[in-house]
Amino acid sequence: MSGQRLGTIVRLELTQRTRSVAWYVLLGVFALLLLIVTVLSFLAYGYVPDQQGSAIYSTIVYMTLLLIVLVSPTLSGASINGDRDAATLAPVQVTLATTGEIVLGKFLAAWTTGLAFVAVSIPFLVVSTLAGGADFAMIAVSLLILVIEVGVVAAIGVGLSGILARPLFSVATTYLVVAALVIGTLIAFGLLGATMRTEQVNNYRTLDYAAYEDGSFPCLQGETPTDDYPCEPTPDLECGEWESYTYDVPRFDRVWWILAANPFVILADATPTRISADGYPIDLFGQIKFGVRMAQIPPEPVTTFDDCSATPGQNQPQDADEIIASTTPSWFVGLGLQVLLAAGLLWWAWARTNTPARTLPPGTRIA
Amino acid sequence: MTLLSQPAPGIVVDGVRRAFGEIQAVRNVTLQAHAGRVTGLVGPNGSGKTTLLLMLASLLAPDAGTIRIGGVDPIADPHAARALIGWMPDALGAWGSLTSRETLVVTGRLYGLSKPAATARADALLIEVGLVELADSAARVLSRGQKQRLGLARALVNDPRVLLLDEPASGLDPQARIDLRVLLRRFAAEGRTILVSSHILSELEEVVDDAVFVVAGETVDSARVQAAAWGARSWRVRLAGVEASVAAGQVAAALGLDATGVVTDRRDVVVPFASEDAAAAALRDLVAAGLPVAEFAAAQGSLERAFLDLGSGAPPPEASAPPNPDPADPEEATS
Repeated sequence: MSGQRLGTIVRLELTQRTRSVAWYVLLGVFALLLLIVTVLSFLAYGYVPDQQGSAIYSTIVYMTLLLIVLVSPTLSGASINGDRDAATLAPVQVTLATTGEIVLGKFLAAWTTGLAFVAVSIPFLVVSTLAGGADFAMIAVSLLILVIEVGVVAAIGVGLSGILARPLFSVATTYLVVAALVIGTLIAFGLLGATMRTEQVNNYRTLDYAAYEDGSFPCLQGETPTDDYPCEPTPDLECGEWESYTYDVPRFDRVWWILAANPFVILADATPTRISADGYPIDLFGQIKFGVRMAQIPPEPVTTFDDCSATPGQNQPQDADEIIASTTPSWFVGLGLQVLLAAGLLWWAWARTNTPARTLPPGTRIA
Repeated sequence: MTLLSQPAPGIVVDGVRRAFGEIQAVRNVTLQAHAGRVTGLVGPNGSGKTTLLLMLASLLAPDAGTIRIGGVDPIADPHAARALIGWMPDALGAWGSLTSRETLVVTGRLYGLSKPAATARADALLIEVGLVELADSAARVLSRGQKQRLGLARALVNDPRVLLLDEPASGLDPQARIDLRVLLRRFAAEGRTILVSSHILSELEEVVDDAVFVVAGETVDSARVQAAAWGARSWRVRLAGVEASVAAGQVAAALGLDATGVVTDRRDVVVPFASEDAAAAALRDLVAAGLPVAEFAAAQGSLERAFLDLGSGAPPPEASAPPNPDPADPEEATS
């Protein structure tokens, strides 16, 4: 591995990209979209005046990730087989540049290309932090994860472009793999969770309202009568019969780990969450993290609702930060799997592109 | 091994085979190309020339057989072999948005040259191949011949000891062809090994020292090539100021031939001779008979003659057509 040759390959790739007008048009469109999102976010998050900054910030980061996920496969998914089609790969392979340098160089160039979009989003991120509420840990962690995710998508594209012979096919496959992570995990989570239903028994009883038809009503346990609330203290409540219903409830707690591979969930799960005064996460990251962590909690097999008790429901709602603290973080597992997938695809591309070639993918020529 | 009287072999190929799936592109190639000489690689389309050159260029591994480039095995040690090799592919891919100079600088950097060295090398090569005026134009605006010259320059960036040129003359104008010929002769004089494939046999004839014939993936035995080259062939005779139809009768009479054995082709009379000696004797007879002989020359080059003969008696259809240096011929690489 030579730094000079690697750098030359990266520069060669980037030079070719930056010399096309389409590239600047794309960046311009990207900036325009972010501008619209930023303005709308400022309007939408007006209800949390002190902390709207972190909410706007998270929205812009998510928007950036979304757009990169949509654009990056096109930019990286044809980098090796496209060169082979244009007959510009073999002239590099006959130089002293090794296959490792070629594949790694193309990956680094594709990653840098994706990071150009992150760079475009930076002015908008700065503006959003000025609105207040975003803290350093949140900014640092979410940006770091964003940068890594951009690299993962770039590596998947470059890897597949070295594995598959046809550029069109490898771009489409890159989109499918990325969509499997972004949307496929959601669909699998929803469908599998809904399929794995278990029974939940719901026991309940209410007051025997027929016993209180004269307009008076009893004080429930713990209640004392006041002028506004003239209940009658009674030692023995007239309670109705216990009744019982059985439901089928979806078991998302068994499939929540599927979401761990989702780039948007990884970003949310990794980023430290800020909780508002009324106990809810402020920004998009926190809300998604809260939702995903809630899914880990299994439904109770038996629930009880007793009108005659001081605490009719059994389950007291917990605060978001308690739930987040008591459930399992999964972002490092998902990120680890993604990095493994990306590295595996790059390795496979290396094996396919290595020369002197013993086997060629069907229908391809080496030069 | 290397005797002083014998040129050192720059390329040694022994029993090389390569198949693509069911198709056996190269069946059995054995050849030597010597340092200080230009060796022509001749064969019809689809005979395996490009596949062979890809193996020599360290891009493709043979199924069997051995290759040595300047004593280095390009399969076992591609890195060392690549430092020696300059390869000019038949399908020339240029980075469209880079200029000619940038293309050469990038290639030089990939060969490990420092930035100033790569720039100096690029400038020298641009002069060498006559692209100075286009040094700063993007490669995508170059004409086919200009791209071909850029491809040649790119093959020369690492000052290669062994040059592998696949159809280098295709798309070149007459002046560029002459320049190429001069360049190749100079490289040979500098002691480099040059292997050049071409369909344009007359072109090749003027530049090569040796020729290797490849037919259906196999090298043809050199004795067979000799026999084919020295066998019966036709000579063109032109008499000054005499119509071809009239001249045919005069030539036939002077040589004591039956008039039907002598045909005309445009301005010339075409006469077959069994050997060069017979041709020389006939020239004496014609001059002795007082005919105004203005031209007396072999109608075909010896390469062309051998090529047509080796194609199992009949010329292959591609070879009889005008030279068709189509680089995008998919058969060449995959079959």
